[in-house]
Amino acid sequence: METAHVGSQPTVGPGPVLSSAVTVRNLSKGFSKPGTDTHFTVLDDISLSVEEGKFVSIVGPSGCGKSTLLNIIAGIEPYDGGSVEVSPRRGTPTHEPRIGYVFQSPRLLNWLTVAGNIEFALEAQNVPRPQWRERITRQLAMVGLGGQERNYPLKLSGGMQQRVAIARALAIEPDILLMDEPFSHLDAITARKMRFDLMDILAKAKPTILFVTHDLAEAVFLSDRIYMMKINPARIFREVAIDCPRPRKPEDPGLLDLEKDLVREFFGVLEGTRR
Amino acid sequence: MTSSVHSVGLRTGSVVALLLLWWIAAKLMHDPDVLPSPAAIAVTIAQDFVDPGPTGHSATFHVALTLARIFAAFAASMLAGIAIGLAMGRNRVVEGALLAVIPLMLTMPTILMVFLAVMWFGFSEAGGLIAVMAVVTPYVAVNIFEGAKAMDKSLIDMGVAFKAQHSLLIRKVYLPQLMPYIFSAFRYAFGMTWKIVALAETFGLKFGIGYMFFFWFEQFNMVQVLAWIVMFVVLMLVLEHGLFARLESRAFAWRGAIAH
Repeated sequence: METAHVGSQPTVGPGPVLSSAVTVRNLSKGFSKPGTDTHFTVLDDISLSVEEGKFVSIVGPSGCGKSTLLNIIAGIEPYDGGSVEVSPRRGTPTHEPRIGYVFQSPRLLNWLTVAGNIEFALEAQNVPRPQWRERITRQLAMVGLGGQERNYPLKLSGGMQQRVAIARALAIEPDILLMDEPFSHLDAITARKMRFDLMDILAKAKPTILFVTHDLAEAVFLSDRIYMMKINPARIFREVAIDCPRPRKPEDPGLLDLEKDLVREFFGVLEGTRR
Repeated sequence: MTSSVHSVGLRTGSVVALLLLWWIAAKLMHDPDVLPSPAAIAVTIAQDFVDPGPTGHSATFHVALTLARIFAAFAASMLAGIAIGLAMGRNRVVEGALLAVIPLMLTMPTILMVFLAVMWFGFSEAGGLIAVMAVVTPYVAVNIFEGAKAMDKSLIDMGVAFKAQHSLLIRKVYLPQLMPYIFSAFRYAFGMTWKIVALAETFGLKFGIGYMFFFWFEQFNMVQVLAWIVMFVVLMLVLEHGLFARLESRAFAWRGAIAH
């Protein structure tokens, strides 16, 4: 399974046409307040794609429907129009697409051990039991929590709990890993460390990630591509490719310049729409 | 660890002190028909377990019968209460209907419930069972309903996002969140159950600890009355603190994790 993953990884830079892990076309969602004529548009004509092995971010202000979009892709929220397609990785045996999800808060089951929490996801995804042990050990080592199998979540710090949540999502070997502002609840220093570690994980496990954040600097540092979203109506207004090679440094002058330009553009659009 | 050793020591100490006070009082009173000494009670209890006594059955029989009644009534009211509480949590109509009725049931004095059950169902096993259920089930149902309302929706969403099957969700997400509510209902339910069973046995059920207590009461045999009371109290203490407390501390081991 491991070799299949590595074998199907496209090389960095211009290469063969990448197959898409997630394709969203003209997606829309709204809701009406019961008993009134008011209709809210949560998502308006959203189209995006995430290619296999890529790190794609959606950046937008809070309340712009980013989380709703992730929930729709995860299949836990309905939508009104358009289409959402999640495809299994090429080179793996055909299966239902596997979706890993890392939420803003860890959402661990505190009554289960760290290993038990990962087993929950493995059982949910019908991963054969003999594979559990190896996967748990490997993913905990991956997120820097080797040997914590039998610990309980409440004994861990917030950052460590979020690492368990990442290990849980990686353990199912997802075709797409959805991350919803996973570092926004952590203090700045822990969040920075987590971003570096996520970069390491990218290099080793090469997952496909769709990452949601309101932090442009974070998105620029981590992503291969960024979609910028605005509110009223909730739309994607810009798509930016970030070609800076990895490993990256957050202080890279190229990245900083790009971030500055994007910030200017982002707030120009946001403040324009508010008026 | 040391704190639990400490509290065990304290508890043993206070029980010993109570026995000592009793012994001194009995010595001073010097009338075993009114206040027999602890030693006399201990001897009587031992005898009751060996001799068939006036009913033709030893204490083992009566204790077993009382325990069977308690556990049957307890299990029935817990199961009914959990089922009703969950139904209230899932369905608004059931919730509205029962929230109107349950306070009525809860305000009814327990002893009146017992009398009503006896008047309707006679001095039968069914009468005792129904008296317990009428008192305990509403309380359990309200507790479980509270638990169902307090369920963390974000964890359920997490489970659904990972495509957890229904049975897995129930086992690992729903039930553990209900556990604190089940246990708090559990304790109250057990305490109420044994009190009502003792009452029902005293007033009319055939055999059992309460029956023996009343039998000796009518004979005005203070030694035997106290012996049966002590048997009952010790039995319930052992069950509550030995069995249930241990079950509870096991079920919530994950919480202790915070303290370390």
